[in-house]
Amino acid sequence: MSDGPVIKDEAVRTLSGGQMAWYRFKYNPSALIGMFIIISVIIGAIFAPWLAPSPESAGAHVDFLNRHSPPGGDYLMGTDNVGRDIFSRVLFGYRVSLGLVVGVLGIAVPFGVLLGLTAAYAGGWTEWIIMRFTDVMLAIPPLAMALAVTAVLSPNLVNAMIAITLLWWTWHTRLIYRIAKGQMTEDYVEAAKVSGASHAHILFRELLPNCISAIAVKTSLDAGFVILFGAALSFLGLGVQPPTPDLGTMVSTGSEYLPEYWWEALMPGFAILYVILGFNLLGDGLRDMMDVEL
Amino acid sequence: MSSRILEVSGLDLSFTTYGQRTKVLHNLNFHLDAGERVSLIGQSGSGKTVTMRTIIGTLPMPPGKVENGSIQYEGQELLTLSRKQRNRLKGTGISIVLQDPLLSFNPVLTIHRQMDDIVRYADMRNNKTRSRTDRRSHIIDTLKKVQLSDGEHILGSYPMQLSGGMRQRVLIGMSLLNNPRLLIADEPGTALDVTTQQEILNLLNTLVSEEGLTLLLITHNLGVVREMADRVYVMQKGRIVEQGIKDEIFASPKHPYTLELMNSVLPLYGDKVMDVADTHHEENAIEIRGVNKIFSRKIGIFRRKTEINHAVKEVSLDIGRGDIFGIAGESGSGKTTLAKIFLGLHKPSSGEVAIDNQNLDEFHGSTEFRKTVQIVYQNPGSSLNPRRTVADQLKVPLKFTGFSPEHYHSRIEELLDMVELPRSYASMYPHELSGGQKQRVAIARALSCHPKILVLDEPTSALDVLIQNSVINLLHRLRDEFDLTYVFISHDLSLMRNFCNRVAIMFRGEICEQGRTRDIFANPQHPYTRALLSSIPVISVEEERLKPVVSKAERNAVLTTTTELTD
Repeated sequence: MSDGPVIKDEAVRTLSGGQMAWYRFKYNPSALIGMFIIISVIIGAIFAPWLAPSPESAGAHVDFLNRHSPPGGDYLMGTDNVGRDIFSRVLFGYRVSLGLVVGVLGIAVPFGVLLGLTAAYAGGWTEWIIMRFTDVMLAIPPLAMALAVTAVLSPNLVNAMIAITLLWWTWHTRLIYRIAKGQMTEDYVEAAKVSGASHAHILFRELLPNCISAIAVKTSLDAGFVILFGAALSFLGLGVQPPTPDLGTMVSTGSEYLPEYWWEALMPGFAILYVILGFNLLGDGLRDMMDVEL
Repeated sequence: MSSRILEVSGLDLSFTTYGQRTKVLHNLNFHLDAGERVSLIGQSGSGKTVTMRTIIGTLPMPPGKVENGSIQYEGQELLTLSRKQRNRLKGTGISIVLQDPLLSFNPVLTIHRQMDDIVRYADMRNNKTRSRTDRRSHIIDTLKKVQLSDGEHILGSYPMQLSGGMRQRVLIGMSLLNNPRLLIADEPGTALDVTTQQEILNLLNTLVSEEGLTLLLITHNLGVVREMADRVYVMQKGRIVEQGIKDEIFASPKHPYTLELMNSVLPLYGDKVMDVADTHHEENAIEIRGVNKIFSRKIGIFRRKTEINHAVKEVSLDIGRGDIFGIAGESGSGKTTLAKIFLGLHKPSSGEVAIDNQNLDEFHGSTEFRKTVQIVYQNPGSSLNPRRTVADQLKVPLKFTGFSPEHYHSRIEELLDMVELPRSYASMYPHELSGGQKQRVAIARALSCHPKILVLDEPTSALDVLIQNSVINLLHRLRDEFDLTYVFISHDLSLMRNFCNRVAIMFRGEICEQGRTRDIFANPQHPYTRALLSSIPVISVEEERLKPVVSKAERNAVLTTTTELTD
């Protein structure tokens, strides 16, 4: 590692919290790469109609002349069994994946955090009931739950989202419960009580800010897993239904043409790998940066 | 001429974090000769511990980097040795005793397992083989050296089953297992109560003379240095600023920093002691009668058994308005429990408590009560929320005692002025402030809604001596300005002597002695008070002479010894 400029030991560091965080971020390669990947995926998803070489491929488009074209040439990732451009479909597929992430985590994280905080702060019977309920929910196999939900309702994106959300909050509850329980022994909680602070104040103004970094790390790591889980559901035919482009469904359809048309399963597979890698690197980077133990 | 054990010359060391290089040690030169007791003194952050870790080779590199200089052990250069050769010296050449005896043990292994490992691995490194029973008898012999005769019993115990003092003894025993020549002690006894610390220091002194050890003592406590060292090096900001024979340095310190350190140590006896005027009002701020606090907890699977901890026993006190009332005691004596009773955080099991002439049962929980009693905690790192700005934290008591929001801003500025902090600090986070500044914020928060009584729970023990004094001066000023009553809880009797006008000494939940500070210190009656006072390390011969003399028998009558297991 090259030596930076020598800072005189008497000098006081005058970086603000935000500057310091950005400074550490810059020197954290995994966080930077992860960030880059996620931004590229988000841009790709948002601007898919303009970025995709053939936007019509996102729908029930058929082009039998060009079916099973290999990667390269006109088609970056090749074409599928009905001649649709896989790259275009991947970009549109990211829309579905990111939508799933926002939907699932947007509900599961606040709910899980609220329960965890409440359990840690209230103690006694409230704590016992919340945490044992969480334990019960944790014991349900996620795939079985998803199968049950989509079987009772109908297999589509919204129901897949509901199925994942129903189980996802438990991890956040456990994590935040543990952190908040540790924070409860700090004097600042007692100091707030001595000052006469209300329960809501202690929960959301005193305890919650100290859980934020853990929530951020956990959420970014989770995002990858939600996409993976969503893709698995689609692969099994329980998630997004054709012709909507979804990475899981694409892998599933493509796998029928293995091995000769390998790109049809592999390319969407790589697309899944790319986004999950991005979220994991970002999460790991954030964890190093914010010194969180998960 | 005695042989040289350790010689550090021209040592420069830097840390690189996130691309920024910070020099932490500057051209360090010092040496130890065989049989010497040398002390490295300095405040926290002066580089003492970094130096120690560089010597034993446990400093992570990177981020640390030795830029220049050499460390020689018995003429052998340590910095260029291979890891394997260097490890061979650990325990057999250089050994170490760390500050916190509990953190130095693995809590899930027995003492025997942990000591045996040390012997076994040292044997392996030095190509020796000894049987398990040989090793065991060697360990028991070593424990005898640290005055633990009941070796068999101790070896079967887990660290948590031993008392603090005994753990420190075992730890010292561990460091002696492979007959080292140099013993490095990093703040031994700092984490212990003063009476226990005394025993540990005596033990170390005995070992140095009997075992022919060389001792490098790292500490910030000048009183300890006076009892323990032959020669002294004073460190400031990674530099050695003064060195010499202990007596000379104590008699005539030359460097301004040394002088500052010496002056900052509060005298226990003698002319320099500051007597606090008795501003005793007739009225009582706090009046308690026959208070008991019993913590009971149901244990076991069926919750049939009850574990009882009688934390406060039959305590009666009158704290007058305007008093600075000290409650002294060692850890576990019940002083903090008593303070929490004043604050209404613990409900007494029996007895009467009146705060400001109102019965606590009815009074506590009301806004009026919060405007009467507030608290300043020991560690501002814990009592301030790390994720909220200074202004946010000062706002909390204002918000919940019905202060009108348009006055928040002006009140916060007023509070920062009161504790002598710049107004711009309102937007800062605690980690941007130093320990002393943080404690000032905590004091400001406690004062924000004009309380009459302030409970100070060891408000300065987490701070360096130099900063401690400035906080104490601030507290004095605030009391005069706002006519406050202080309840000061501490284990630091020197500080209490100079800060309080009245004291009570707590011992195992009871108050064993109370009265005016001057009288108690001049003429302690209770044997525990006498033992406590005699254990405090002081920095001058004159003070040593004025301390009460306590015989060993008298001491053992009140204190549990750290050499025998008690069940």
